Amino acid sequence: MRAWTFAARSLVRQPGRTALGVMGVAAVGALLFDMLLLSRGLVVSLRELLDSAGFDVRVMSTDMPFAGPNVTGVTPAVAAMRRLPEVEDVVPILFGEAAAFGRDGGPVELTLFGAETGRRSPWTMLEGEGLSPFAGAPPLIVNRNLARALELAPGTAIELRGACRDGAGSLPASRFRVSGIAEFPFDEASALTAATTLVDFRRTCGLEGRDEANLLLVASREGHGPAAAVEAIRALRPDLHAFSNEELVARFQQVGFSYFSQISTVLSTVTLVFGFLLITVLLTVSVNQRYAEIATLRALGFARRRIVLDVLCQSALLVGTGGVLSLPLGLALSTWLDAILRAMPDIPARVSFFVFEPRAVAVHMSLLTLTAVLAALYPMRLVARLPIAATLRSESVT
Amino acid sequence: MNVLPAAVAAQPPGSGGGTSPGEAPPILLSRQLMEKEGLEVGEIVSLSSAPSGSHPGRFRIVGVYEPVADPARLGDPSLAARLHLPDLIDLTRDAADPQSLERVGAVNVKLAGEPDVSAFDRELAARMPGLEVHPTVPLDREADPFVVLERFHLAIAVVTVFASSMFLLALMVMLVDERRQTVAILRMIGLRRGRILVQVLSEGLLIALAGAVFGVFLAAVLEDGFNRFFRWRYDTSLVFVRVTPQIAARSVLLAVPLGLAASLASSWSLLRREALSLARR
Amino acid sequence: MSAPIVEARGVTKAFPMPAGPVVAIRDLDLTIAGGEYLAICGPSGCGKSTLLHMLGCVEAPTSGTLRVDGRDVADMADAERSALRLARIGFVFQRFFLLPMLTAWENVELPQAEAGSPRARRRQRTAELLDYVGLGHRSHHRPPQLSGGEAQRVAIARALANRPRLLLADEPTGELDQATGRQIVGLFDRVHADGTTVVVVTHDAAIASRTPRTLFMRDGSIESDATGAAATEGR
Repeated sequence: MRAWTFAARSLVRQPGRTALGVMGVAAVGALLFDMLLLSRGLVVSLRELLDSAGFDVRVMSTDMPFAGPNVTGVTPAVAAMRRLPEVEDVVPILFGEAAAFGRDGGPVELTLFGAETGRRSPWTMLEGEGLSPFAGAPPLIVNRNLARALELAPGTAIELRGACRDGAGSLPASRFRVSGIAEFPFDEASALTAATTLVDFRRTCGLEGRDEANLLLVASREGHGPAAAVEAIRALRPDLHAFSNEELVARFQQVGFSYFSQISTVLSTVTLVFGFLLITVLLTVSVNQRYAEIATLRALGFARRRIVLDVLCQSALLVGTGGVLSLPLGLALSTWLDAILRAMPDIPARVSFFVFEPRAVAVHMSLLTLTAVLAALYPMRLVARLPIAATLRSESVT
Repeated sequence: MNVLPAAVAAQPPGSGGGTSPGEAPPILLSRQLMEKEGLEVGEIVSLSSAPSGSHPGRFRIVGVYEPVADPARLGDPSLAARLHLPDLIDLTRDAADPQSLERVGAVNVKLAGEPDVSAFDRELAARMPGLEVHPTVPLDREADPFVVLERFHLAIAVVTVFASSMFLLALMVMLVDERRQTVAILRMIGLRRGRILVQVLSEGLLIALAGAVFGVFLAAVLEDGFNRFFRWRYDTSLVFVRVTPQIAARSVLLAVPLGLAASLASSWSLLRREALSLARR
Repeated sequence: MSAPIVEARGVTKAFPMPAGPVVAIRDLDLTIAGGEYLAICGPSGCGKSTLLHMLGCVEAPTSGTLRVDGRDVADMADAERSALRLARIGFVFQRFFLLPMLTAWENVELPQAEAGSPRARRRQRTAELLDYVGLGHRSHHRPPQLSGGEAQRVAIARALANRPRLLLADEPTGELDQATGRQIVGLFDRVHADGTTVVVVTHDAAIASRTPRTLFMRDGSIESDATGAAATEGR
């Protein structure tokens, strides 16, 4: 009977304790798997979101993403960048806040974007047209939440009062026509978002005459790639800071997301140590209960290596079975944990904290394999050093 | 008060430009900014609110301060400066906007007596429409990121407790199996099931209590290690892990019943069986 | 009788203890020829089991020379001793020590599988052995489902699985009633008659009376080594 078969028999003959051990490993393994997903989940998800928005470079005035003063001299900057062979399109963006008025007359606060779209736009149209004037009135694109909240549809008139800068005081309301309904990639689940042209945004927010933008969205030309576009922009305007999506994500990882990678490292380590201790104890108690059996096998002529291998095989089967079960369990658990974390404010609805990567499965299995081997070391040592005659003697007496 | 990103250029005292140190207004810099730029107290620095560094103001470093750690900005080095408000307004004003001399980002208010933020908000809105009042403790705590994190940690704890309960049960089943003959002998010499149950529960209670207390002790020891590591990693004075009496009590109150339940569950089959069947191989 | 299967010269076995070494076997000389049938008797603590364990290469002597099946036990590494036990020596224990999670069939098959015997040969041999001990009808029962006598018979079948030259039994009837014990003893007679060297450690006079040779031990030494009528008289 091979060691694997013998080990499986030993486990199967004691179904209660084996099932409990496997369930424990599955739970620990699920947690470990989720921490591996969490370690890169936010980064991968944000990267996917940034890439899906259609722009692979972002230009800002400082090296602190989305912080700091506006980019000035936008019009000539955009024109110059559009002439770069590495650049396909440039869209300057301003964002601020505005208030619309609901049917009850109460203010409805929303996020307002101003953009000068070219071939691409940073949103996905769902209904209606893009930012083209509608019935002579300035166009406004709204998201589904806002459309639902204010019962808007393409063609509806709406008034907005801008609140885009500090101390703006009371600005007069601006009248718009809803030209379409769109999906904004970085919206939170409950966000109320609208977008208009750059000119109309400035008018609404009292920023006429200010040729500024919060950031410039840049799409690199096919065949050149974002790195080449970044280099070209840096050479053209060394006073500005250009980031590829990858660099942006790396910055976020260093700052905003570092908590999650740190906590996932800590929890992964704690989980592994926890699992290691528990499996070691389980195997050691099992070995302690089987001293007579082990001594008998040795007396029958089973080599020390063979008996030690039995223990290792038991550990591998226990951890292996639990490990396989931990994958679907972990995926289910990650759905729950993701729902908890996505309640955080300012998290785009399309971002997930737990993103499945095949790499995570490989790392997970490797860590569990290592745990199985390490956890078996002490009980293997006990078995290897078991004095046969003394054990037979003591088992005969007790 | 606004803390703006600024171009910081250090000049040794008395080095050039004919500016005497006495003319430069005082400024405090955060420890992190001092370390990053290699500055010392007494040096003259230039600050500008423009990314290009235009229209800088010159300031004399009169001290270093440790910024209050902000958990919402974990990992973000606190590169900050503190100026007198008039100096900051002078540095950041918009020449085209006369109102910019009268503008601040926020005004911190400490309410007297029993603070009623909603009442204060209404009164202020009536007197000065357009102002927004934000309590320092958000009224809607559900969206507070730290409440969300607390829920997340609790979820992790639930899974961990489940996993350890499975292992605990497995171990108890194994240990109870070893006691089979002992229980058989006790039953055959006349001890009733109830008496043995009391013994099992007493043992379970002692083990669970000892384990829970040890666990709390271990957590308290590890607390220091965790805090030291993360404080070093993020260069912050935040406390990351704190074992409070309430948490210790909650841990013990959870562990003890779990241990008792595991003892009972694993011993149940032994207690149910007849003595003779227990004694058989 | 054929060539000696056991040759011991000046064998001593001492166990280190905190209060000083305990000498279990003291300067013992012994030769057992192939095909012999002997009993080892003596009061509790006289070193019978220790001697049996040394004959089975489970323990190595502290000093002296012990050759089993022509090989010096002290010269052998642990793996070599294991291989010798698997191929040449069978053990029967007082408490049977069957593996509880395996059936009677699997217990008997186990040493053959470990020795690398092909499946077909294993099945044949296992069936033969279980019939030999009269338990062919209980082959799929696990040890907890067997009586003491049945369990010991399975243990004997297991000990014979790889056709050992030497069968060692340590108090094989210690846990059995008289009638069952006599059945077991009868089995040993049969094993011996089939050519296997049998050495039995026992307190049981009934067993000792059946063996042509009896060793009496006291305080780690052989007090007497009686053969034939003298062995009978000595009891």
